[in-house]
Amino acid sequence: MGRKVLIDKAHIEGIRFYDVYRKNGGYASVEKAFKTSPADVVEEVKKSGLRGRGGAGFPTGMKWSFIAKPEGVPRHLVCNADESEPGTFKDRYLMEFLPHLLIEGLIVSSYALGSNATYIYIRGEYAWIVDILEQAIAEAKNNGWLGKNILGTGFDCEIYVHRGAGAYICGEETALIESLEGKRGNPRIKPPFPAVKGAWDRPTVVNNVETLAAVVPIINLGGEEYAKIGIGKSTGTKLISACGNIKKQGVYEIDMTISVEEFIYSDEYCGGIANGKRLKACIPGGSSVPILPANLLLKTAKGDTRMMTYESLSDGGFTTGSMMGSGGFIVLDEDQCVVRNTYTFARFYRHESCGQCSPCREGTGWMEKILKNIENGKGKISDIDLLWDIQRKIEGNTICPLGDAAAWPVAAAIRHFRDEFEWHVKNPSECLQRNYGLAHYADPRPVAVPA
Amino acid sequence: MVKFSDEKLKKVDEIVARYPAGKQKSALLPVLHLAQDEFGGWLSAESMDYVASLLHLEPIEVYEVATFYSMYNLKPVGKYMFEVCQTGPCMINGCDDIIKYISDTLGIKPGETTADGLFSLKTVECLGACGYAPMMQLGKTFREHLTKEKIDGIIAECRRNAN
Repeated sequence: MGRKVLIDKAHIEGIRFYDVYRKNGGYASVEKAFKTSPADVVEEVKKSGLRGRGGAGFPTGMKWSFIAKPEGVPRHLVCNADESEPGTFKDRYLMEFLPHLLIEGLIVSSYALGSNATYIYIRGEYAWIVDILEQAIAEAKNNGWLGKNILGTGFDCEIYVHRGAGAYICGEETALIESLEGKRGNPRIKPPFPAVKGAWDRPTVVNNVETLAAVVPIINLGGEEYAKIGIGKSTGTKLISACGNIKKQGVYEIDMTISVEEFIYSDEYCGGIANGKRLKACIPGGSSVPILPANLLLKTAKGDTRMMTYESLSDGGFTTGSMMGSGGFIVLDEDQCVVRNTYTFARFYRHESCGQCSPCREGTGWMEKILKNIENGKGKISDIDLLWDIQRKIEGNTICPLGDAAAWPVAAAIRHFRDEFEWHVKNPSECLQRNYGLAHYADPRPVAVPA
Repeated sequence: MVKFSDEKLKKVDEIVARYPAGKQKSALLPVLHLAQDEFGGWLSAESMDYVASLLHLEPIEVYEVATFYSMYNLKPVGKYMFEVCQTGPCMINGCDDIIKYISDTLGIKPGETTADGLFSLKTVECLGACGYAPMMQLGKTFREHLTKEKIDGIIAECRRNAN
């Protein structure tokens, strides 16, 4: 059994409510943190090696240390609960079942950063979770964990929930800040970074839900102890939301010491591919990250076992690897069509592009149109090269990473599944009747031996 | 003329107080949600102008926000809106069949409303329920692991509640 430090108590009856949560050791990290200085808390988080759990994997302690502290200017912590990356539903699980864990993490983190008004920006569709969070906040406040002069420390803190209204782009931190300010979610040009000039031009740190929840076990265990979980720079535990053609879809906490194969096939996790089918492909970290065929998913191009860690999932770069991303693990069995899947993602990114940068605004729609044609047997071979060309011209040419996120899935699908695209073009009527199937995507790959 | 009740006006003040003084524009998204809930499930120009006056904004500041976010309806919708997810993981789990089934059962295409004004069908992009697909949003809640039988049940439930 892997070690669990985040959702290990999620099964306890009534844990959503304050009394049960507190009885089970809740809010101990606040008591512990308040006995030390805010700088000490930042230091513990640095020692823990915690990396942002929203997708980018940037070291949290380092991000915190960048926050500017100009005299007399308030600072803000904003929790990014705008979980919208297709395949990702882990933050929802945390907030729905363990709302107090997030509130506890927010109090400790607000203390570390000096935020007296902290905001949870939650996606508009999670409407019922707003009620759960607001109830937890009220309970925490009634018990003295929020408000003025908390536990006699002189530290004041309020937490507010701010509900979005349906825009994937608001998961990007500067778009999120714009949206918090009551504007369209158009990302800002960086610099200035939010740590210097964020919400209302004040120094702001934006962190993912899971990242902030992880601060609780980090303080409870100590940064060094937390860093002992996992392998190398992948410290601690990670929530993986697994979906697609697996037997047991759901949210799993892994301690980043297991292999991808174990994650998919062991009964502790996904329980294998559903309906006795075979594994064809997987998008291991949310829709933006490169899709991998089965033979590159389970083993790296070098022939090593691929592990569920940041480093191993990205082993081989984008040529033969992928990314941990947000932990949205989407599994495709032999009956699935990679062209169709890529088309739905392209449609998603076209729908979610904010329209600010031409390469993304125009490119995402163009890719969607071409992919729709190929999927419906109306494509040309030259379309495949055109798609490649368009994604190349989007990547890196936009203000925010949505352009990259739209380009990568298309690039990887063509890179690894080009013959499936060609089959669609060459068999325009057959591709409407059946899918390409498993083909050679699970065959062992020849491992290049250096001369 | 649209107007919030005193209770809702108090709620607006409470929302505005969450943000720094003078930054009442930050309350725009939550107040638009409130207006949509109160004024028939959609945002008319009149409702948006009213929100602008409450928050001391130019109407254009409200329009540009209302048109950006997909959850604000800019034309009337049915009393019950079936918002069915159609992105990758839901597609893998058969959302296309669900959309078609709803469409056939209610006799409306995505984007349309039934003549009695009871139901609207809308296809949406990923709602964060990929492990419980296929799914749809109905009001404030998610309906997950959808099957044709479940859809029949939900439609019957809506009809019952409407009376």
